[in-house]
Amino acid sequence: MVRFIVNGMSADIDVPNDKPLLWALRDELGLLGPKYGCGVAQCGACRVLIDGVSTPSCVTPCADAEGTSIVTVEGLAGPDGALSIVQQAWIDEQVPQCGFCQPGFLVAATALLERVPEPTDADIDASITNICRCGTYPRIRRAIHRAAASRARS
Amino acid sequence: MPRLLSRRTFLLTGAAIGGTALVAAVGGVGYLATVDVEGLLGFVDGDHAALNAFVTIGEDGRVVVNVPRTEMGQGIHTGLAMVVAEELDIPFDDRISVVFPTEPLPAYANWFNVLGVRPEYASGPAVWLGRRILGQLGFISTGASGSTMAMWHPMRVAGAAARQMLLAAGAARMGVPADQLTTVEGFVRHEASGRAFSYGELAREAAVLPPPQNPSFKPESEWRLIGRSQPRVDLPAKVRGEPVFGIDVTLPNMLHAAIVHAPVFGAMVAGIRNLAMVRAEPGVLDVVVINDRQVAVVASTWWQADFATRQLDIEWTPTDADDVDSAVMTGRLEAGLAGEAPHTYLDEGDVEAVFAGGAGPVVEAQYAAPFLAHACMEPMNATVLIRSDGTAEAWVPTQSPIAVRQGVQRGAGWADVQVGSVTCNVTMNGGAFGRRSDQDVVAQAAFLAARHRGRPIKVIWSREEDIGRGLFRSQAAAQLRIALGRDGQPLAYDALVAAQSAMQSIASRNLPFTPSPDGDMLTAEGLDKGHYTIPSRRLRSKNVPSHMPIGFWRSNGFSFNTFFTESFVDECAHATGTDPLAYRRALLRDSPRHLAVLNRVAEMAAWDTPMPPVRGRGVAIEDCYRSVVAQVVEVSVVADGELRVDRVFCAIDVGMVINPDAVIAQMEGGIIFGLTTALMSSITLEAGAVQESNFHDFPMLRIADSPEIIVDIIRSDEPPGGAGEPGIVPVAAALANAIYDATGRRLRSLPLAITQTTGERRTRRVLPAA
Repeated sequence: MVRFIVNGMSADIDVPNDKPLLWALRDELGLLGPKYGCGVAQCGACRVLIDGVSTPSCVTPCADAEGTSIVTVEGLAGPDGALSIVQQAWIDEQVPQCGFCQPGFLVAATALLERVPEPTDADIDASITNICRCGTYPRIRRAIHRAAASRARS
Repeated sequence: MPRLLSRRTFLLTGAAIGGTALVAAVGGVGYLATVDVEGLLGFVDGDHAALNAFVTIGEDGRVVVNVPRTEMGQGIHTGLAMVVAEELDIPFDDRISVVFPTEPLPAYANWFNVLGVRPEYASGPAVWLGRRILGQLGFISTGASGSTMAMWHPMRVAGAAARQMLLAAGAARMGVPADQLTTVEGFVRHEASGRAFSYGELAREAAVLPPPQNPSFKPESEWRLIGRSQPRVDLPAKVRGEPVFGIDVTLPNMLHAAIVHAPVFGAMVAGIRNLAMVRAEPGVLDVVVINDRQVAVVASTWWQADFATRQLDIEWTPTDADDVDSAVMTGRLEAGLAGEAPHTYLDEGDVEAVFAGGAGPVVEAQYAAPFLAHACMEPMNATVLIRSDGTAEAWVPTQSPIAVRQGVQRGAGWADVQVGSVTCNVTMNGGAFGRRSDQDVVAQAAFLAARHRGRPIKVIWSREEDIGRGLFRSQAAAQLRIALGRDGQPLAYDALVAAQSAMQSIASRNLPFTPSPDGDMLTAEGLDKGHYTIPSRRLRSKNVPSHMPIGFWRSNGFSFNTFFTESFVDECAHATGTDPLAYRRALLRDSPRHLAVLNRVAEMAAWDTPMPPVRGRGVAIEDCYRSVVAQVVEVSVVADGELRVDRVFCAIDVGMVINPDAVIAQMEGGIIFGLTTALMSSITLEAGAVQESNFHDFPMLRIADSPEIIVDIIRSDEPPGGAGEPGIVPVAAALANAIYDATGRRLRSLPLAITQTTGERRTRRVLPAA
């Protein structure tokens, strides 16, 4: 039995302790936003926030998430459904192509902006290590800067 | 009294008679009609009215656009919905939704890609027949950068026809002639009286009217959507993590399967040494050999299935390829270049005589490119349900519903189960790049579904299976030579490429017949250089088979041939002491469209300004998918050989543009995809087996290595060209040419750099030792 908070709701799931969090979120909780892309923490499509830290859920055993607060891409928007600043910046810059990897990028960018409100290009290079095969990187960079500017205004 | 066509009647009429034949019979227009009513008959279904095969309008005014092409990131659902919205005269907002239709209506067939004839110019009996056959087959596919070219005109017709039917319905409602009515923002208005009805109010009456044969189009001067960037219809859901990709399909009672393929293609399962142990793993329901060649584990969850497959101890039969490593393959390709009897695609002028004449210097070089995997971000998957009544349903991220239908039949056949009708649901695709045209994973899912009838089975390949055990772009090599005249310009061009025929390999897996590898344009495309003025040209290829299964791969032959040829043109420029841009300008003296693109990219990159030390720039241009694209790459090569790509400029003439921002996105993405390939992608063989397995050894460019990219779309009067593939085509050559400019080193083998890992995911690229 593992307990954590996910997207503001408490979850109480009966899974083996070593089941990766990614598959617990997908199989047990129907949260399909985090994606399986590599299974070895290379691509970042599975990233979720665990207590605010961007974490590859495909290599995080459920036991490690016990008692934490988790946010998936589904939890980035406000309770009223309003897009987060980062999500809105993603729309404004028309970032996604196929979109499969984007949940992980949105999570990673959200974590970066919490930590570094006005990131430089070097900050982005150091922090955003996800893979996008469609090649949306130039727009991701622009969207992060745009989101930073929006946050500074709000 | 209007005739109410039920959905069933519509389908039967549409399928059995076919729109054009109907027109021919009734209207006497005959098969020479360019625009017919194929797919334009409407019907009413509850509160929804299908005005034709492409446009459905609800009572609430919401419009559903059927786009029978796969959204795999390229933005096609947005572009084609824009075309419909333009002609239908509705605002382009969230009242429009786009779906991939489940029914394989003839109007959805991809005859453009097969016949190579643009719908807006199609006429004549051969095209008529081709359309009928492909339509009846339900030949729906997405690829070859062809969706805009194939569909923009039919969907324009569909939008215009629907608008005209709404006008007619409005005229009947208001008792005024249709020519006194106008449409604006989803309403039919009678200006004189000020009366207006919304499309939602009129749709059911409009849907049962006879469709116009030749609906009139809105003049280009009144376009407010086409040619102006619109936000993509799929992005609001994508930033919320909502779209259902194939891997997300969730059905009641669903089982999950993971697959292990042979390390060496062609090997068969000789035995499973620990079958009992794996069967006892938690959640495992079934461990079974598929078609003698793969082992599947079916479990309650995919994590359990995947875990169990990793425990399998399988004995594989030996194969003829067990001693093939990358050096052996390279040797075979070189032998192919040196050997006899290549296939000749083109032989104009007397190439041999020019070289034998010895009039001027000859430039000669050999080039090479490795096998490549696709590595779509969404791992390969398919979900299949076979019911007890023999009908089947599939949910697949596919480029080819027809391949899904055939794959289900084939896989069920392995289990001796006959399948009747197959419904194919095309899900959102997490990248495709040609990989999702094959039947392979679908057939596996169908085999398992046939064993577990009544329960949907979702097969997911692990990333390791995807990269190391799937389909590949062929390894390739080329021998190029050019005889130069006194002015340094080529007199004769002789190109010979050795590679494995993709078409033959694809057909051997997916079609009932196998074409000759000779004449496979997927091998030869990009050799042509028809836009360059060269008096004598000879283009040849040699098929070098291997045990490796080859698939479509984004830009196919262009992905290696354009690297070979556009690097080689640079070599010729340098051999004559000419600036590579000036050299190409002279070569393009008879191709104004291409010259304009080249000049534009040169201007964007400020080509004439000198580069600082350790930096270099290179240019390349290609004519592909009926578009012309040129790129300039700027690099830095620092003292220890570390290579950085700083900026890429891209100019493209993609003909008439529907959604400019989508074209820009395809160029940006194509450039990144092409840089990954050029800098670091290589699939290698050892003892017959692919060595790469995941992103640690088949790496991808990440944001830190992503250059600044500047794209400009040339204004063009040409009809629409392709955009999905051209972006990646010139970039490898432009990069190699930039490295030469920076270092004086000519790199003729892909990938161009060696990737060194300097920390967790911190990588750098260095040039190979000289």
